[in-house]
Amino acid sequence: MPLQAIIVGCVRQSGGGAEKLKVEGRFKMKLQRESCSVRDGLSLGGFMAVIMMAAMICVSPAMAGESGAAASPPPTSGPPPGPNNGQPYPDPLEPFNSTMLNFNLKVDQYVVSPIARGYAAVVPRPARESVGNFFSNVGVIPRFANNLFQLRLTRAGTEVARFGINTTLGVAGLFDVADTWFGLKENRDDFGLTLGHYGVPTGPYVVLPFLGPSTIRDTVGLVADGAMNPLDWLTPWYVYIPANVGQFALAGINYRSLHLNLFEEVDRYAIDLYGAVQDGYMQRRANQQRKVDEGTVFGP
Amino acid sequence: MNGNRSVLFVDRGSFVRRALGGLTAVSIAIAIGIAARADSGDPTAVARTLVNQALSVLGSNMTTHEKQERLRGVVEQSFDFTEMSRSALGYHWRDLTPAQRQEFTRVFTQFIEDSYLSKVSDYRGQTVTFTKTIQLAPGYSQVSSKVNQPQGGEPIALDYRLKYIGGQWKIYDVTVDSISIIANYRNQFNRVINNKGFPTLMADLRAKSTQLANALGES
Repeated sequence: MPLQAIIVGCVRQSGGGAEKLKVEGRFKMKLQRESCSVRDGLSLGGFMAVIMMAAMICVSPAMAGESGAAASPPPTSGPPPGPNNGQPYPDPLEPFNSTMLNFNLKVDQYVVSPIARGYAAVVPRPARESVGNFFSNVGVIPRFANNLFQLRLTRAGTEVARFGINTTLGVAGLFDVADTWFGLKENRDDFGLTLGHYGVPTGPYVVLPFLGPSTIRDTVGLVADGAMNPLDWLTPWYVYIPANVGQFALAGINYRSLHLNLFEEVDRYAIDLYGAVQDGYMQRRANQQRKVDEGTVFGP
Repeated sequence: MNGNRSVLFVDRGSFVRRALGGLTAVSIAIAIGIAARADSGDPTAVARTLVNQALSVLGSNMTTHEKQERLRGVVEQSFDFTEMSRSALGYHWRDLTPAQRQEFTRVFTQFIEDSYLSKVSDYRGQTVTFTKTIQLAPGYSQVSSKVNQPQGGEPIALDYRLKYIGGQWKIYDVTVDSISIIANYRNQFNRVINNKGFPTLMADLRAKSTQLANALGES
């Protein structure tokens, strides 16, 4: 969809690591080790999370106060007020974000989009959808872990079952047969939503280089989800860093090839592109959070 | 039809005239009642009428220009552009003079219409399924629909938000994949007004509208 942030979508799809496939045969055996290691992996993410959270919690009431004073009460026109009660989002990082948005747009314009167009011209759509399925399948660990963190045991189980079915019957995850044959839907979930589920506020909006729109909380979530990649603990940095970057780039280009008019569509109808992307991200995350808290299944 | 007959029989004795007159009145009342229920008494029907009319225009073999002219009429009868404008400006609406509000509503209406009409040439035989209608608040409803893609791919969730105004349900917002379009514009407009002022917003809106209208003319 037009307003969805391209690159964030990919990161979330691919958080688990393509290389998970290699250890697929040993998956069951390793699962227990993973659940311990998830904790180990989280210790880094968790540590950063605690620091950033602390910083954020100190900063955000001050900011809320500021913006509350600057803004008038909500509009009189009645419900529903929309996200943030019809008020502008607190945006202390706006100058940085603005620069990053322009940087990302340039990266897209000169690198990602041309490659994605060329790739889309030679690879037919079903094949590219299968590549998307593949990256989604290898991202099972963060989804599994976050369903577990939110004590949704059935869904965590569904994720394991989906991984098993799609990796075998779905030919290494190229086909989502767990959904089409067994009706097992993917449960999108990430650590940002888990934090939100336990009451952590989003914090200020931030645009990350290459990764696109996020918030302080969701950035912490990205780091934590990224730390759940077993490859990172099993291989030295000069293997896993290029591997992750490569996987991220591939997933990103594949996603872009499936959404060729993404930015063009947004820009065509936007009066203020920064505001359109910001609100699109904030609304999308608020909707996902509502679904997580309600317990509604939602897809990619 | 009954109306015409009663006119024809108007001079034939008072009994016939009264009987037919009564009948006419009843049938007109029923017709109005049905029409009112179908058009404005039920939010689902309003959205359904809009979509059916739009789909029949889009699926016809009119030229793109003819389609756009027809659709402009279809859109104008189902949307409440004043409510949309007020909502899109949020708290800034109260700071405007009545003349500014009127001018903004006019320009924003033009912009929204041009935005929707510029999508006409993208139509590829999509179909629409209505899924559910919920009440958001007293006098506010949301009609949910799915736009099915004929070439496959995930259907797009398109929801219509309606407000009961002056005895009619009118659309004041549309959400795409649960992202409210009006709330999205509100954030953009807030930023432009706060950073550059209301006149800049008006200038930007006019420029974009012209751009979209020119693209309409070319297609």
